[in-house]
Amino acid sequence: MNLEDLYRLLRNGHVEAQGIVDTVPDPLLVLDQNLYVRTASRAFFTTFKVTRDETIGQHLYELGNRQWDIPELRRLLEEVIPKSTAVVDYEVEQDFPTIGRRAMLVSAHRLFHPDNNSRTLLLSIVDATERRQREAEKDVLLGELRHRMKNLLGLVQAMARQTTAVGRSGEEYRDAFLGRFNALVQAHDAAYTQEGEADLQEVLQRTLEPYSPTGVLVESGPAVSLASGQIMSLSLILHELATNAVKYGALSTPAGQVRIRWEVEEASGPSVRLVWQETGGPPVAPPASPGFGMQLIDFAVSRELGGRVELNYAPAGLAVEIVAPLGPVS
Amino acid sequence: MRKTVLIVEDEFLIAIDLKLLLERGGWFVLGPAATVAEALRLLDDELPAVALLDVTLKDGGVRPVAEALHAQNVPFVVASAYDQPELIGGDILAGAPNVGKPTEERRLLKVLEQVVGS
Repeated sequence: MNLEDLYRLLRNGHVEAQGIVDTVPDPLLVLDQNLYVRTASRAFFTTFKVTRDETIGQHLYELGNRQWDIPELRRLLEEVIPKSTAVVDYEVEQDFPTIGRRAMLVSAHRLFHPDNNSRTLLLSIVDATERRQREAEKDVLLGELRHRMKNLLGLVQAMARQTTAVGRSGEEYRDAFLGRFNALVQAHDAAYTQEGEADLQEVLQRTLEPYSPTGVLVESGPAVSLASGQIMSLSLILHELATNAVKYGALSTPAGQVRIRWEVEEASGPSVRLVWQETGGPPVAPPASPGFGMQLIDFAVSRELGGRVELNYAPAGLAVEIVAPLGPVS
Repeated sequence: MRKTVLIVEDEFLIAIDLKLLLERGGWFVLGPAATVAEALRLLDDELPAVALLDVTLKDGGVRPVAEALHAQNVPFVVASAYDQPELIGGDILAGAPNVGKPTEERRLLKVLEQVVGS
């Protein structure tokens, strides 16, 4: 092998080694034992938008605006060679010249050498800015999810606490609570699993059928489109009325019936008038004191639907009239 | 002094629950208000001994209510599912006790008594 062949062989080896270094997408620096830059990879120049002259031969801490000159990082780097340690993913969040604020993960190892006495450092830098941003966004989302979950638990707690326990057996309490709980689950499903809108007729039928397939008559009426919040409130109202009817009202006897009808009124802006009429049941009287169920109906109509409700305890049967504006309710 | 508490809470089931349990605990309840506007209107009529605040209402954050209460030297307690309500509702909420959501009854009653008593 003559000298020229040897040279070509060495050169090819060098070109290939440099090619490998320049192909690694993360910036790499080779530092001598005093932390002066001996070589830098192509990715280093492109990532930090710097030239060879600004980089090669400079001290690591003097690069850019001295962004790597951090006491903690200094301490770690200065131990790598004497103690044969490594720095792994040390995070540097700084304002870098020309590229702005970035989160960089710095790793430093002794450069591998077969004799294991290398006094050279390989510094690799990974730009984790976008990953950090995604993580932060995920944290916000998880926080919001946690908040909603706790709100939902708050609703369940409200129902558990306010469902009457006095004078009831454990089973009666459980059934009354679970009745409300299931109504909440179904109302949630009805309100949020479909595209956020449903027709009044559909909501009435779907909600009331389970209580009595034959005792409840939903008359047909004009099409009324309900938004998710309205579906939610209406489902809960209907559950309270229906359980009351099953316990004390028309649905407590085989002959009793509930008829529901509605009409759309165009007085000052469109509104819906919904009438719940019980017949054929035992004589009814207003409750001695308004409980949670009554308050629920009252609040749901006035606050959630922005309307008003009247309950008429006529001897022939309870009549409930709900008038609520249509369209967006604040 | 009459034990009055203003409840500001937009989730109606929770608002009813808080109202009924505070009434059972011997409090006279103003509200519940579901919006900032409604809460401010109630404050115009009568100042409570203390207020119980949710952080996010139907018409925005509760901050204007907290500021109005602060200006009138009415103490308030936060009932929020957020761990740090001040990050959402503003610095005015920092330092106010947060009884959390779901809200434990005994803790709520105890904290209200403490705030009014101090």
